[in-house]
Amino acid sequence: MIIATLCGMGFGTSMMLKLFIDDILKDEGIKAQVVSWDLGSHKGQDADIIVAPMDMERHLRSSESKIVLIHNLVDKAEIKQKVMEAIQSLSA
Amino acid sequence: MQIFSFILELITLPAFILGLIALIGLVIQKKPFSDVLTGTFKTILGLLIMGIGIGALIDALIPIQAMFEAGVPAGGFRTFVTFDEGVVGAVQDANVAGIGAAIAWTMLFGYIIHVLLARVTKFKYIYLTGHMIWIHAGAFAILFHSFGLSLFWTVLLASIVDGIYMTLAPAFAQPIMRKITGNDEIAFGHGQTLLNMLGAWVGKLIGDPEDSAEKQAFSSKLDFFRDMAMSIAIIMIIVALIAVILAVIQIGVAGVQEQISGGQNFLLFAFLQALGFTAGVLVLLQGVRMLIAEIVPAFKGIAEKLIPGAKPALDCPVIYPFAPNSLIIGLISGTIGQVIAMVILALIGWAVPLPSMIAAFFASGSGAIFGNATGGRRGAWAGGFLWSFVGWFLISFAYQFQVFGDLGAMGATALGFTVPDAIVPGIVIWAIAKLFGV
Repeated sequence: MIIATLCGMGFGTSMMLKLFIDDILKDEGIKAQVVSWDLGSHKGQDADIIVAPMDMERHLRSSESKIVLIHNLVDKAEIKQKVMEAIQSLSA
Repeated sequence: MQIFSFILELITLPAFILGLIALIGLVIQKKPFSDVLTGTFKTILGLLIMGIGIGALIDALIPIQAMFEAGVPAGGFRTFVTFDEGVVGAVQDANVAGIGAAIAWTMLFGYIIHVLLARVTKFKYIYLTGHMIWIHAGAFAILFHSFGLSLFWTVLLASIVDGIYMTLAPAFAQPIMRKITGNDEIAFGHGQTLLNMLGAWVGKLIGDPEDSAEKQAFSSKLDFFRDMAMSIAIIMIIVALIAVILAVIQIGVAGVQEQISGGQNFLLFAFLQALGFTAGVLVLLQGVRMLIAEIVPAFKGIAEKLIPGAKPALDCPVIYPFAPNSLIIGLISGTIGQVIAMVILALIGWAVPLPSMIAAFFASGSGAIFGNATGGRRGAWAGGFLWSFVGWFLISFAYQFQVFGDLGAMGATALGFTVPDAIVPGIVIWAIAKLFGV
């Protein structure tokens, strides 16, 4: 499974989200590849789940990946809950 | 002896040193062999990709500069692009007199000093914003290198300043961060700190935090500026069109097409240069991304082992969800601040930094959020405006007086530093060095 995190530059906030999600996956014992992308180049790349800040919703409407939008980027509980839901809905 | 010179050349090669840092980090994290190999190679490739992007970016920038030069009569103003990644990438890539290697070593030793300081002092913060770790290591290494110091002294002094910066800056911003986020969990780790704090200080003087900008309904759809490709392309098209029109006024269509565009239609030429510049930036950023993707997790792993419970100092967008209205106020007031500063700088004859929507959004946006935390709506407008207005003077000063040495001769043609956390200490150290006649 590929989980992509997104931000404007592709190495700031998305990198931070990637690190958080890496930790979460490790705790849960789930194996997945987490990559950080920039908003400009996510189209044309494949991911099962895209995790992005809430305000990027508009840019992601046409995406075929499962979209996870995070309101509070530093709230690990929110990230964990939403990402785990997405993983479960995909494996269900 | 061939083997000796091979090793000597290798350890002064920036791509190799950064690859080595990634390798060590990955091994310490006990990653499987395949990950170690991929990570190390990707880091090295990232640096090479950066070099390709820099080349394309400068190739497109030179004709735009030439059009400005042709368009503004002698004694007029000079322009440059303010872009930290561009400066450090170009200087590291050109590696004149071993400076690229000094940057890479400073990145490693600066971080080690930062982690040691965080461990022994009460400032328990871990600076994790990858591109800012790299940019500050680059800025301080370039600064000390410009004094003519040897590689050893350059790396030693730059690493000390860099380590102190990464430890103190998050601590300095933390009182305001507590107000913004409502908790004490995360810290601010971005080179904007000094000007953001200026916004917070002025906000406190002129405003009231109760009158928060976040209380009014204020929906705006300016968020396409978050898309790098779009925001850079739009700005550069406008800049290139202004440049070509000025040039046409001075030397005529025939002049532009003979002297600058190589026969191509002048409007099409300007348009293509703007897009060429944007493409170069995107390639550069792809290289930065590959570099950071391997090095930041390594740094994080090491720091967490040594300083349990430290607060992570993170990239500026982490505060955006707490104050979306202030962010938009910052974008607007920051753009105004840039334009007014540009006019004044042109009038006093200093080098003029071209407008940057990246700075208006990411930097003035953060300045406005800091201002809002202490001074509400007024604070937000002042914070966003001042970031760009004062920032443009700092950026111009550093470029005009070559605070970081002759960046052009080091490979960064018509590029200058942006972040105040590099420029302000840079000016202080430069001024002290001048006093001692360095």
